Amino acid sequence: MSTKGTKIWDENAVPKHRIQWCPGCGDFGVLAALKQALTELEIVPHELLLIGGIGCSGQIRNYLNGNAFHGTHGGALAYAVGAKMANPDLKVVALAGDGDTLAIGIENFVHVCRRDPDMVLLVMNNGVYGLTKGQDSPTAGLGQEREEFSEEHPPMVDPLLLALASEATFVAQSFSGDVKHATRMFVEAFQHPGFAFINDFSPCVTYNKFNTYEWFRDHVEHVPPDHDASSKDAAWALVRDFARRGKVPLGVVYRNPRRCKRFERLPMWEDELGEVDLEPVLAAFR
Amino acid sequence: MRTNRLKLLVGGVQLRDGVTTVTDLLGKIFTRAGLYAIAMEKGYASTIYGAHQYDPMLVTETPAVSYGDPDIDILVALDYDTNPDAKQQPNRDTVLRHGGFLRDGGILLYDASTGEIPTDDLEARGVKVFPIPARKIAHTELKKEVVKNIIMTGALFRLVDFDNDTAYLTQLLEERFLRKGRELVDLNLQAAARGREAVEKILAERGYELTVRLEPRPAKKAVYVSGNDCLGAGAIAGGVRFYAGYPITPASGILEFMERYLPKYGGRVLQGQNERESIRAAIGAALAGARAMIGSSGPGISLKVEEIGVIGATETPVIVVDAQRAGPSTGMPTRPEQGDLNLVLGSGHGDIPRIVIAPGTIEECYTLMLEACELSDKYQCPVFFLTDLNLSEGKKTVLEEVFAHRPKVTRHAIVREDDVRGKTYRRYEITESGISPRSVPGTPGAIFKTSGAEHDEFGFVSIDPAKRAAMMEKRMRKMDTYLREDWKPPQVFGEVRGAPVIVGWGNTRPVLEEARAVLQARGIKAALVHFTHVWPLRRDALDALLADAGPVVVVEQNYSGQFADLLQQELLIPTRRVLKYNGIPMHPTEVADAVQKALEREGAVVRIGGTAPVKVEVGRNEHEGD
Repeated sequence: MSTKGTKIWDENAVPKHRIQWCPGCGDFGVLAALKQALTELEIVPHELLLIGGIGCSGQIRNYLNGNAFHGTHGGALAYAVGAKMANPDLKVVALAGDGDTLAIGIENFVHVCRRDPDMVLLVMNNGVYGLTKGQDSPTAGLGQEREEFSEEHPPMVDPLLLALASEATFVAQSFSGDVKHATRMFVEAFQHPGFAFINDFSPCVTYNKFNTYEWFRDHVEHVPPDHDASSKDAAWALVRDFARRGKVPLGVVYRNPRRCKRFERLPMWEDELGEVDLEPVLAAFR
Repeated sequence: MRTNRLKLLVGGVQLRDGVTTVTDLLGKIFTRAGLYAIAMEKGYASTIYGAHQYDPMLVTETPAVSYGDPDIDILVALDYDTNPDAKQQPNRDTVLRHGGFLRDGGILLYDASTGEIPTDDLEARGVKVFPIPARKIAHTELKKEVVKNIIMTGALFRLVDFDNDTAYLTQLLEERFLRKGRELVDLNLQAAARGREAVEKILAERGYELTVRLEPRPAKKAVYVSGNDCLGAGAIAGGVRFYAGYPITPASGILEFMERYLPKYGGRVLQGQNERESIRAAIGAALAGARAMIGSSGPGISLKVEEIGVIGATETPVIVVDAQRAGPSTGMPTRPEQGDLNLVLGSGHGDIPRIVIAPGTIEECYTLMLEACELSDKYQCPVFFLTDLNLSEGKKTVLEEVFAHRPKVTRHAIVREDDVRGKTYRRYEITESGISPRSVPGTPGAIFKTSGAEHDEFGFVSIDPAKRAAMMEKRMRKMDTYLREDWKPPQVFGEVRGAPVIVGWGNTRPVLEEARAVLQARGIKAALVHFTHVWPLRRDALDALLADAGPVVVVEQNYSGQFADLLQQELLIPTRRVLKYNGIPMHPTEVADAVQKALEREGAVVRIGGTAPVKVEVGRNEHEGD
């Protein structure tokens, strides 16, 4: 894989030597794949809006070129929805972690799946809250037996099932240890007209000593080529089948472009706004 | 005979009796007839069906300052007993609750479909009673029960000798119903005629003399609108093109207004899935370059507090409308209060610059909103716009010339491609004014990094002490710039020097103006100082204003005197307080009484309302040593 041409993504970004991820962090793989995908798609950095979540994952917005915003925990998707509604020409990507998306942000996640705005949500899933030193996230417990859970530590939320149940129109899974495959997933997500959700397994080498790169290499399995991603029944069956076999699917699980109404960019500049005519409003009140 | 001054109150059972349907129709017709109507003291409950609802209205020939005291000339009771066999008549709410406010010699008009009610006590005071079996007539004669309110309207018009040729009513009915067929219009006109006849009959039988009449005046260009309508129109004229909200009383009206009109101006409206989604989406839209606004009420603003910090720290321009209602918690959703001042002043942890403005009238909901739009854009900070239930949902005749005021929508400190060619763009450039040029995504050469976490000039997260200090100071400097360039001093009525000063803020101004007139008539020359620009305050200007003033009495509608606290804190002056928080709007005479009591003692706190008589308490006085 060539990184030639991805240079453009290093401008306006925090230099490599100041990246504050632990050596070996899965997010490096996501960054590499994201740059590669954006390069392949010939996206222009100034038309890109990266909305970062809270946590290690959200830092990625500063490590590559493009406009970036960073607000509160669980808020990334809602900011992104507003930005996309205001300017549909923008390429909007929400970059969040599993805690950000599925704990505090779970309500937004469900409703944005339903809204189906034309943007990408890339979740860097490692099963822990890394930035606050290793507490359980809602996806903690991947690959563990049912008996191992308690009320304090319930079984994990499966992001794929939740996305399917929430009417997401593009659901895919990737793994940071397979940058080439992740790149392909990101490209497909950007090309999807509607809300594209990718759950990327991005191992936390410091705090998650169970779901390591080795563990993932033993457990990931590509979605079979004959899988009918356009069928929701097939998608449900696939996720359940993988779970039963203790495996983790990589690939596009579900894809069904929904035709959303295309909106114009909202008037933003003074010449576009001009002086408004309030007559239609007043007429209704007379 | 008194001409063109009428105070009426329409009451009935919520949803069933169509109280506001009647008052909206009256307000519209009176406005068209060249008169001025104010219906700003709505009373209803946070239920859908069954509770008591009332809507008082003042009709005048020249614009009235406020609704005034709660006395009534004509009481219109739309309630009727659903169970004709009931021994007691539970649906006499309107008469029982409001009969006491009827002036001696006033008029009671009520629906007598299920029998007449005892009115001896009222009649003893000279009240003329008109029992009209409106529902019965509608049901048995006209075969359509909904026209019962038109029967009552016709009766009311006869009582004030108005619209005898039914020209106004006919026109309005035709506008509303003609597309559904001529028969419907005729049916309604017939209903109005039946109401008139019924009144005619009672007049003949009882020999009553009528004392109030309304007479059309040359038509002026005016509309009958609510505060929510006006602030919505102001937002559209001020360039807002993205609005987000979540249903909450009394801000839902803004959401409804915006959903109806904003798309006509190329804008979009989002009904968020919760309070937080709406404000976050507005932040996103503002970030993308649209002028964005959200509207909510106290409980919703509480939920949005986290994002107020984001708006302040990321310097994203968002207008936050808080249509206040009584709190705490869910409080009284359908009752007004000025209780959110502390919330908006203190929302968000850490220090953030913010501007708080509060209109005094429905007209100012429009004009001040234009200002709010400019301020948010210029200062890139949260701009709070505080209305309250009465201002938001109340309606009034507003001259159309108010809406002619349309300053050009300008953009402040936005970088374009040409501005940054050959330069390094810094989103949070340290400037003297505290305002950093903002770029919107899509501008080549002006890529920005924005963060709610503390950041350097480029927007990259930083905890460097020097950078932190510089960035904090830059942000807060915006407030100095605001005080220098855009702050508006309070409106002053009367001579402050040596006189007692009534201080108020926001929606109470009309009542305070009238209370001042009441005091004046009693020989107390009080001045009124009223704030629409509530925060930040310019200390030097206010110090100078109040330097030689007599006692300062802050009048507001909350329990603790939130604005009084603010003034004490900022100006280091003692304040006396007049407070009302029982959910009923203030009235001029009770305010005048309470101010008079407050003037008797230093540190007095006079609380209005409740069943207890007005009582003077000696409050704390921090400026006297132990």
